[in-house]
Amino acid sequence: MEQQVTVAIVEDHPVVTEGVASWIQSDPGQRVRLVRTARDLTGLLDEPRATVDVVILDLELSGELVTAQIPGLVTAGFRVVAFSGHSDPLIVMETLDNGAHAYVSKEEGRDHLVEAVLAAAADRPYVTRSQARAILADQRPARPALSEQERQALLLWFQGMSKASVGRRMSISENTVRQYISRARAKYAATGRSAPSKDALLARAIEDGVIKPGEIVPYKSFASAAADHPSLGAPGR
Amino acid sequence: MTAVQPAVQPTVPSAAEPTVPPTVQPAVQPKAMMADRYQRAFTIAVVFLVVVWHIAGAGGQLLHNRADYSSFAFQGAMWLVMAVAIAVGSVLVLRGTPSWRSAWAVALIALAASTAAAAASPASQMLAVNWAWGTAGWTGVLVLLRRRFSELGCYLAAVALGVFGVQVWDGLDRTVLAGFLATLAWSTGAQVAVAAGVRALDVAAGQAATAARSEQAALERAATAEIITAARHARWLALQESAVPLVAELAAGTADPGDPLVRTRCEVQAARLRRLLAEGDEVPGPLVHELQASADVAERRGIAIEIETAGPLPLVPGPARRVITDAAIAILTAARTRTRITLATVAAGIAVSFVADTGSVVPLPAADEGVAIEHQQDGAILWAEARWNSR
Repeated sequence: MEQQVTVAIVEDHPVVTEGVASWIQSDPGQRVRLVRTARDLTGLLDEPRATVDVVILDLELSGELVTAQIPGLVTAGFRVVAFSGHSDPLIVMETLDNGAHAYVSKEEGRDHLVEAVLAAAADRPYVTRSQARAILADQRPARPALSEQERQALLLWFQGMSKASVGRRMSISENTVRQYISRARAKYAATGRSAPSKDALLARAIEDGVIKPGEIVPYKSFASAAADHPSLGAPGR
Repeated sequence: MTAVQPAVQPTVPSAAEPTVPPTVQPAVQPKAMMADRYQRAFTIAVVFLVVVWHIAGAGGQLLHNRADYSSFAFQGAMWLVMAVAIAVGSVLVLRGTPSWRSAWAVALIALAASTAAAAASPASQMLAVNWAWGTAGWTGVLVLLRRRFSELGCYLAAVALGVFGVQVWDGLDRTVLAGFLATLAWSTGAQVAVAAGVRALDVAAGQAATAARSEQAALERAATAEIITAARHARWLALQESAVPLVAELAAGTADPGDPLVRTRCEVQAARLRRLLAEGDEVPGPLVHELQASADVAERRGIAIEIETAGPLPLVPGPARRVITDAAIAILTAARTRTRITLATVAAGIAVSFVADTGSVVPLPAADEGVAIEHQQDGAILWAEARWNSR
């Protein structure tokens, strides 16, 4: 059995902390181990880095948004999975731009939080539906250029289809669906402010063949967004 | 400006798109200006009368009797003072209703000029050569015309008293008194009559204007009522096709409320009624609003419904919205426990999708009004997408 991923939960509502702990415990593979809970961020940075792999961070602590604290956490070597009731695409984008590995809305927690933590521990991209929504809604001029296939896969995923169904709809394999969605996420890791977590995600994406170094063009004008890159693209629907 | 016109042809309502009553423009009443116009015409007539009287009547008498005055120059000066008072008074009344100060200032100057002219006349034939009394009275009519009638009465009495006082000073006998009373009756009587006549005409014009206003209001009400009737008729037509036969069957007992199929039909009709009501609401995002209304009945049935949007959504025209919400009602009615509805901006349009555990294929409306509908069944889960393109 692989080594357990260790997590800390930073959450100001004990009932939510208990809920998250119960999801972790009910994971059949017992792949995640809860090592620390905290109601705020003080003291977390003093924690020996080796004991906590991933921080599950509520974005609102005592009524204040803590998205600005994420760069400090990732610089200290923590991987951050944001877990929040705020599903505003702008907040999601800011969270990812600041270096969080993934964003999980509170509605998505049961189905996605443990998986997102595991993906973050491995520096692999994990895209929830709320993240897909934020990417689809992204209107910033500096947004990365997504191919039609990537956009279509994100749209169907956001709409609520399973990845297998998205594959059937697009006449591609489920694995290719994951490729498209992960590649879109990796492109976002290449934009905006620099963070060690984003570099790690990008390096892993290249290693896994999700994206090629040539496809990482941080500030591409969206005017050139239409063309799909042929290297990984299976035929469309 | 013309009267408000109904924006729709009330006789041919569209069943597909109930008309939304346009905002009725604030009343613009061409006839309401009538009262003001008539009043101005009466004012101009009075100005004309006073000016003609002063030049032809008083001026003529002044020149005719010029040899009889002890000082023609003084009488001429008084005539000029009176002329200035009339000019100022005319300007004041033509520019609007003068304030009581300026009206009375003009009137009192005329009164003073009249009394001075009378006092400077030869005692023996003061009344015979008096040119100023009439003019002073007319000047009062001019400036006090639209003030309280008693003010004009007081003024005319003051003018007459001024002349009478001079006469008493000069010496009063029965013949002179008879002459004074005859002049008073003739001159002041004419002035009172003109003032009263103008007042009566003012009142008549006001009544005509009020009548015109209420006629205008009645026309507007009728136009609004027609628009509302048209919208109602369109809704009625929409219900005729679907809800009314169902209610009739239920009433006749041919449809059994215990039959699941009948219950489904009822649910669909209830959702349509809610949507119909929501269509009349003016909200920033009408499509989301109508989807919420369509989802209301399913939500009461215990179906968990999520509605999420991505991106700034374009405005979808009414007929296209109806095709989309028809698809929503069909899917929501068939959903067993949950439905996810998403709205996303796509190139030149909008993609509204539904993911629901319908268990089986749901008959969806045909593509229409620029809306294309696609679907895919994966086991118990139905995915359907209604895409509308603005192009």
